[in-house]
Amino acid sequence: MLAVESLSVTYGGLTALYEISLAVGSGQFVSIVGPNGAGKTTLFKAISGTLRPSGGSIHFEDRDLLAVAPSERAHLGIAHVPEGRQVFASMTVMENLEMGAYSQTGRRDWGRNLERIFALFPILAERRDQAAGTLSGGEQQMLAIGRGIASSPRLLMLDEPSMGLAPMVADLIFERIVELHRDGLAILLVEQRVAEAVQSCDFGYVLETGRVVLEGTHQALLADDRIRSFYLGM
Amino acid sequence: MTSFGTFIEIFLQALIAGVLIGAIYGLMCVGLGIIFGVMRVINFAQGEFLMLGMYFTFYLVVGFNMLWFLGPIVGPYTGALLAGPALFAVAYVLHRFLISRVTGISVAGTEGEGHYVQLILTLGVALVLQNGGLILFGSTPQSVRTPLSARAWEIPLLYDANASLFLNKARAVAGVVSVVVAAALYWLINRSRLGKTLRAAADNASAAIYMGIDVDRAYRIAFGIGIGITAIAGGLVATYNPFQPYIGLDFVIIMYAGVVLGGMGSILGAFWGGMTIGLVQQLSTLVLPTQLQNAAIFVVFLLIVMVRPQGLFGRATERV
Amino acid sequence: MQVRRKLIAPLLVIAIVAIAWISLGMVVTNSYYQLMLTLVPIWAVMGLSWNLLSGYTGLISFGHAAFFGLGAYTVTIALVKFDITPWLGIPLGMIVGAVAGIVIGYPTFRLRGVYFALAMLAYPMALLYVFVWLGYQEVPLPMKREEPALYMQFSDYRVYIALAVGLLVVSLLISLAVERSRFGMSLTAIKQNEPAAEAAGIDTLAWKMRAIMLSGAVAAAAGGLYAVVLLVVTPDSVFGVLTSAQALTIALFGGIGILWGPLIGAAILIPLSETLQAHLGDVIPGIQGVVYGIAIILVVLLAPEGVFWRVRDQFQRRWATRAVQATPLAPHIVTAAPAPATPRKPILAVSGISKSFGGLRAVTNVSFEIGDGEIVGIIGPNGAGKTTLFNLLNGFLQADSGKVVFAGHELIGLKPNRICRLGVGRTFQVARAFPRLSVLNNVVVGAYATTTNDADAFAAASAALAQVGLFGRADAIAGQLTNKELRLMELARALAGRPRLLLMDEPLAGLASQEIEDMLAVIRSLAARGMTIVIIEHTMRAMVRLSERFVVLDHGAILAVGQPSEVINNGGVIEAYLGKKWAAIRARS
Repeated sequence: MLAVESLSVTYGGLTALYEISLAVGSGQFVSIVGPNGAGKTTLFKAISGTLRPSGGSIHFEDRDLLAVAPSERAHLGIAHVPEGRQVFASMTVMENLEMGAYSQTGRRDWGRNLERIFALFPILAERRDQAAGTLSGGEQQMLAIGRGIASSPRLLMLDEPSMGLAPMVADLIFERIVELHRDGLAILLVEQRVAEAVQSCDFGYVLETGRVVLEGTHQALLADDRIRSFYLGM
Repeated sequence: MTSFGTFIEIFLQALIAGVLIGAIYGLMCVGLGIIFGVMRVINFAQGEFLMLGMYFTFYLVVGFNMLWFLGPIVGPYTGALLAGPALFAVAYVLHRFLISRVTGISVAGTEGEGHYVQLILTLGVALVLQNGGLILFGSTPQSVRTPLSARAWEIPLLYDANASLFLNKARAVAGVVSVVVAAALYWLINRSRLGKTLRAAADNASAAIYMGIDVDRAYRIAFGIGIGITAIAGGLVATYNPFQPYIGLDFVIIMYAGVVLGGMGSILGAFWGGMTIGLVQQLSTLVLPTQLQNAAIFVVFLLIVMVRPQGLFGRATERV
Repeated sequence: MQVRRKLIAPLLVIAIVAIAWISLGMVVTNSYYQLMLTLVPIWAVMGLSWNLLSGYTGLISFGHAAFFGLGAYTVTIALVKFDITPWLGIPLGMIVGAVAGIVIGYPTFRLRGVYFALAMLAYPMALLYVFVWLGYQEVPLPMKREEPALYMQFSDYRVYIALAVGLLVVSLLISLAVERSRFGMSLTAIKQNEPAAEAAGIDTLAWKMRAIMLSGAVAAAAGGLYAVVLLVVTPDSVFGVLTSAQALTIALFGGIGILWGPLIGAAILIPLSETLQAHLGDVIPGIQGVVYGIAIILVVLLAPEGVFWRVRDQFQRRWATRAVQATPLAPHIVTAAPAPATPRKPILAVSGISKSFGGLRAVTNVSFEIGDGEIVGIIGPNGAGKTTLFNLLNGFLQADSGKVVFAGHELIGLKPNRICRLGVGRTFQVARAFPRLSVLNNVVVGAYATTTNDADAFAAASAALAQVGLFGRADAIAGQLTNKELRLMELARALAGRPRLLLMDEPLAGLASQEIEDMLAVIRSLAARGMTIVIIEHTMRAMVRLSERFVVLDHGAILAVGQPSEVINNGGVIEAYLGKKWAAIRARS
């Protein structure tokens, strides 16, 4: 579904990503973990179009993504839940969700998607007329995910959804993501917390200083002690 | 009549004048407010587009007399309203080929450098429009006279048979039309899909892109609407005030004072800011000589900028 | 020998321009051209004054007409009301201009970005209305029949040309003096990165105030002479928007931040617009404004920094080799006493500092000590508050509570440049250089805080370059350096201030592995000479080898402190980095 091949990203003369290759199959749950500064968010931004890669290719369902403008990528069926939530703070919860449904498919499936979002995150229904900036971190994350689902995507990409959240809230978020996957949505999850990201995935990659240093099924990754040395240096 | 009664009469007269003028100032500030709120662009040329709105109305109604069928009263106000779409088109094209080179998502979020470039570029545009206007339209002051321009409603004050307030009809109608247009715009921004799209692009441009919104186009539309609204305000001013190509300068500081007072980024705030400036200007005639009226506005402007830059309604954490 | 570009070349150019101009003035008889020859230097001076503030500091002023007008009216009112000759009136006007600079600068410099520009726009407009109200609609300067020369009135127009050129030469010399001294260098540092300049010990507010004072004085002089030449002053002609716009355009068009810019700008734009005005002014009134408007638009789109830089950048290579070769001083590396063995005296003691932003607690009750000569790494997961901590130590943020004591001084409440002078240096994540200047000139800015004269400053800069191994690149143009070299240059700039404690913010980010090794070697050599180093870093592999101790932050609070081998085996630290579940799963297996 999503194929990244030999992707490199440099900016300001620094190499942030060096020849990364990974793939997300249809309906798969793929996780990308790694320590701070490994290039996870850079990878996310390259796929979403915010950053221009200096080499390599990205294909989504056989379409060359690099030829598609960033604001067009949402209309192809890829939804982004960016780092730090990035909700529209001055707009209400409902308006945020409406913006999520900006694409044609989103508008077509609006009623159905809204029901689903409220079923997954009942608190959003409660707070539907509240300004998004006044929500708690966890609620904002739920809103960001809801916004992503509202476009009826085939692939949902999440960048560090647990950042800044209390462990219990983060666990809830992860549970919902797993639920979404079970309902048939392909997931690409970028995370710093290893186990939460890896334990439910079909396949995982470990990034360190811009390269893929480890990859495998979730059982293989969880058993591998080398991950600790990637994070902590030895 | 007692001197207190006279004072009340003068005071109320200034108050009414302030409200009416304030409504029109409010409308022009809303135009600037949209541009700044959505795009974070400082448009030095806003006063010039006001001026172009005046001349558009003039040529449409008086010069080429194209609205003769609407009569001498409805014609000019319709002309003023038509200035909106006309200048929207001009602004859209201007943005597409010129302004967008120094704005857009690449700039909205960087500090310092980007803003100065916008300021300087729009200054250049202002100079060209101002002096281009002088070349095209000549320096003789023009006006769009209506039968209402010289007439006023008289409202008797109850406490004294000799005291009354005079409402210049042209100004009153212009004020009411301003409020209606501002309300319509408010509805557009808050309820319509287009309005929400613009607000989303203003709130968080990168997130808007993730939603599939073409932010560059949103900026262009916002710029067009902002200019169009200010042009309508210009057309309305034209119905009671004479004008010449340099008139934009007189209003630039009013617009900026209003937008800053209301809080850059808040459209409602911009309207109230403009209204306040109108009141300050008219009420200051009670204590200051007329030439210093505008100086009073500067003082207010400088005070706000120093003491409370986010204005009355703006967010404290503006990414300016 | 000093490392400074020689002054001979620019002084020669100034002399040639002056002589050529005056010679031209001697032969021209047409009164219109004589006026032009007078106006070009006056507007060039106005452009130079704009440059003095806005060109060098980057704070774009749209209100220089305020100073120009004040100068013009001082001369006019002094003559009309008090019979004071312009020979005194112009210097008086300069004082008024300087004072106006202080009055305007002090409150306005607190404003950032667009608010600064708008406020500057408001001042001349307010003055315009005030002067109209005062009744000075149009004030002609009275003709003095007896002793006209005493009142700066000459029948021979060529004297005015000479006066204008004289003022131009003075302004050019002032600009040159500013540019080639630490005044100009400090302003350039402020323009390029104000926080970094503060952290390097430059008192940014003081320099900005000096700049606006000087700028105001020079603009007022231009205004005063303008009044004398034109013999009539109206509020609109001196306080109007076009005046401010002209000052800005002339400097911007010709070249921003360099003394030749306004000269080029005035020489091109004034004749162009005046000629068009003269020939077409009847048919196309306002042609002047259109010319300036188009000039601005073209410059912004095609040559954002002005004609001078555009042309020079094309010939950069040729110019670089022809630039005066400066032999850097052989550095006298002061070998400090080797770091004492354990136990080390604490040089920095942080106790209980906290900082909240609104409801968000960024740093909570953090306490730790750094020993003299230690290398300590501040680590922690993303968003742990590490950079906030540095900003608190450095003075960019004020802590809500707690104490920070450095070598006996309490740091809380001090401005960053003061903290730098006490001996705390800082490098930043994003290294921004002065791309057109040499490496040595980039680094010398860091030495201003701790030296009083330029000789010492350049010596300290050379020594700093030697410490990081860039001594051989001292003359290279900074825009051509590699990333690693840029980082080292940034480090040298911090070292030029001879700090005792160095705060480094992610010095290794994005470097390749060999480059990381080079940086580590440099850092170790600094520590070997007794410097205390505190580093924020994410590249753990390098940090475990470099640091003697780790301070681990998570969610703004201290999680662990200790030697690297202990800390990374600490359960809490593992949880923070890898997540609770991972630690649990590993524990089970």
